[in-house]
Amino acid sequence: MIEADGLVRRFASRPALDGLSLTLRAGDCLALIGPNGAGKTTLLRVIAGLLRPDGGAISVGGHRYPEARQAARPLIGYLGHDPLVYLDLTASQNLELYADLYGVPSGRVLAWLERVGLLARAYDPVRTFSRGMVQRLALARLLLHEPRLLLLDEPFSGLDAAGGELLEGVLRGLGGERGLVLVTHDMAIAARHATRVMGLRRGVAAFEMEGPVGHADLAARYAEVIS
Amino acid sequence: MTLGARQFRALLLKDLRLELRTRQTAIAMILFAVVAMMAFQFGFGFRVDDTTPLAGGILWATLALTAVLGVGRSFVPEREQRVLDGLLLAPVSRSLLLAARAASVFAYMLVVEVITVPLVTVFFVQDPAATDFALIALVCVTANLGIAILGSLLAAMAVFTRARELLLPVLFLPALLPVIIASAGATHAVLGVSDDMPEYNGYILFLLVYAVIFALVAYATYDYVFDD
Repeated sequence: MIEADGLVRRFASRPALDGLSLTLRAGDCLALIGPNGAGKTTLLRVIAGLLRPDGGAISVGGHRYPEARQAARPLIGYLGHDPLVYLDLTASQNLELYADLYGVPSGRVLAWLERVGLLARAYDPVRTFSRGMVQRLALARLLLHEPRLLLLDEPFSGLDAAGGELLEGVLRGLGGERGLVLVTHDMAIAARHATRVMGLRRGVAAFEMEGPVGHADLAARYAEVIS
Repeated sequence: MTLGARQFRALLLKDLRLELRTRQTAIAMILFAVVAMMAFQFGFGFRVDDTTPLAGGILWATLALTAVLGVGRSFVPEREQRVLDGLLLAPVSRSLLLAARAASVFAYMLVVEVITVPLVTVFFVQDPAATDFALIALVCVTANLGIAILGSLLAAMAVFTRARELLLPVLFLPALLPVIIASAGATHAVLGVSDDMPEYNGYILFLLVYAVIFALVAYATYDYVFDD
């Protein structure tokens, strides 16, 4: 699903990624943990094709960047710090826009709004939504085109308990052909969902853990990384 | 409908829906154009007996400045609401993003012209009834092509810079000078001043060539504008 080798990305002269390599297979859930500025978001944006690496090579779904980046785009669902919805459009107009851009049937729009509990507010401008509701809409936007690779950057941020349960359900329902890269500061979430964990520090992998990871082990390793 | 046509329609519809809801771009452009016309009228309209020879220049200087305002606002929703990544993540060709944005700028310019062209004839043309509005409409359409294509390209470049409010007019206005000259010349040629159709046709051809050149430049460069 993802093959990255020696990724380097600098901002000014400071390296945010410093020769990072990773592989993600279909069905894997990779949790990225690390302190602020470790390079987690930068790595996600490079995988999403939103940032061009200064060095190294990356391919997603067998499509090598940058030449075949366009072919990889339908495979990717990205949920970053911003919900990527227009506040002055209604919830359904936002999803219709993305349905058209990804070429998926418009019938999915209302189905997804119902799934995320926003059907009653489908025709209200997003500007009138609470933060948690906007995050639910962002979740619907993320999954509307049924991406094979999900890139989630602190996705539980802003969600209320019901929204959190909804997202947990989505994560539990993954697997099979889908891959997931999850950035989180919450060790419990990482332990619950990850099949692998990578701890980042200053743009390099400080540690990697395979298999189901225990919360206590993970918290201990994380404490080592940030100390 | 092909995927490209569906994407184009969705992007254009999104811009028009946002404008209908917020009324932040077209209305601002209309107000600016009307106020600029009044400024010209107060500036020398009362001191010159026949301002008809100046009308084309006044119209297109006003429309060029209005275009700078409109183009500058064209990426405001994406920038302020941080939605640009959503468009860039989608499997949409970058040139289609440009084409849709240019189409919305084109539409805003047409709306402004529907109001300003009659106004300029009333304010500055001695015999407004003799004005051939169909020929002026053709000037507007051909000029708008170049304005919309170049403006969208420069706006996309400027949206990522800190000094965008300064950079866009500084780049856009000089590049618009050929459009101002040709559009003013074509308008002047059919306002009853000279009634010079060969001159008019020459200017229209020039405006078309200008639009085609910048369409090719935009097509060749737009991928790089959004690359990072």
